[in-house]
Amino acid sequence: MNELKVGVLSCSGEECLGGTISRLATRKVLEELKFVKTVTLCLPLYLAGGEEERNFAKVFPTISVDGCDKLCAKRSTEKYSGKISGSIDVSKIIGTENALNSRIIRNKDLKPEHYEMVDKVAGEIVKEISHLSPDSYSGKSFGGCGCGGE
Amino acid sequence: MIDNCAILPCNGLDKCAGAVSREVAVKLCENNANEIICPVFYRVAEAKYNKIVGEHPLIVIDGCQTRCASKLAAEKNLRVFKKITITEEAKNHNIVLSGGLTPGESDKVLVDLILKGLVNEPENSGLISDVQDISCNFDYNTFQNGKFIFRIPRGAQIYFNENDCWAYVIGNRARIGVTDFVQQNLSDILYFTPPEIGAEIDQFGEAGEIESSKSVFEIVSPVTGKVTAVNSMLEQKPELINENPYETGWVAEIELTDFENDKELLIGFDKYFELVKRKVEELNG
Repeated sequence: MNELKVGVLSCSGEECLGGTISRLATRKVLEELKFVKTVTLCLPLYLAGGEEERNFAKVFPTISVDGCDKLCAKRSTEKYSGKISGSIDVSKIIGTENALNSRIIRNKDLKPEHYEMVDKVAGEIVKEISHLSPDSYSGKSFGGCGCGGE
Repeated sequence: MIDNCAILPCNGLDKCAGAVSREVAVKLCENNANEIICPVFYRVAEAKYNKIVGEHPLIVIDGCQTRCASKLAAEKNLRVFKKITITEEAKNHNIVLSGGLTPGESDKVLVDLILKGLVNEPENSGLISDVQDISCNFDYNTFQNGKFIFRIPRGAQIYFNENDCWAYVIGNRARIGVTDFVQQNLSDILYFTPPEIGAEIDQFGEAGEIESSKSVFEIVSPVTGKVTAVNSMLEQKPELINENPYETGWVAEIELTDFENDKELLIGFDKYFELVKRKVEELNG
């Protein structure tokens, strides 16, 4: 039986709080979610032409997590790997004003309320994963991701 | 000391080395006037960062040998002043990366060692020691008038003056030369008189001369600064200016001293392209 796998492609944002929250929430899901194996796909590598990353997203269900409504992760995934299985726009969860906050970006500046946002977004990612059909968890024709996220 | 630089980290989210690259970038920005370039956003919307990478020395931090950040810099034709690869640094310092996505103790030690190495870099040093190595592989727009084809390089780092000279600006240095308009008008260039290395030149001051059988053209410097290198090939082969005045036919390199002010009297590709078209039309009546 194939291992259950879901890809998460997160914004690597450096420009606003939304990007930071996306990254931290994705990492939290990766480290804590147990009922399915989540694999982070590296967005910079994906955009640079990483075939393994693109193939993974073509075969396995993949969820994009974007920090703001520019939706870099979602748009890129759709462009290179086709339809995505789910998408999260962090600005819709924490509010546009929070997401676009460019004064608080670095981890060291985060306050408890920001970690609550991380938890909330991580919860939404898990919810998206839970909505996926069990059939779509395992790759049908792709043996291994090889993306280094394991 | 690394200050006032643009930092392009790989920002990889799936490997420890990527997380460390980001950590180095963030630390470099905490106490200095450095700016991080988001590798994702730069790829999808470059306009936001063109000014920063055009005006500041660029430090590229790759996590692993895939070198996504370096590839991005190459795709954008950026001049890199300093490259760091986290996996290589780890090897050089005999440190085993933790493997986690949250930097562990060994990763933090590596980050500190890398930062220490950068802090000990002499100011504006050696980052640009190979002054002959400003690679100019431009993209061009062209137009034709009769049998003459005029190529004008485009890009955020290229500036022109109305005297038909260009400057390709990287950090605090610029390479300068003349445009196609000059070489087409002079026809076969026979002599090149370079500016003196070490000479201080004001914007619109003379930066050497080129001469054909038709006339002599005084090269009008687009920028203020000190001449750090000249294209010595032109003394033997001035025809390189006819062949390609932007790449093999460059004239000199200048360490900039007042570029913020110089810029006010320079124009970018769009304006120069229109200007040179008008000049050609007027000449050919």
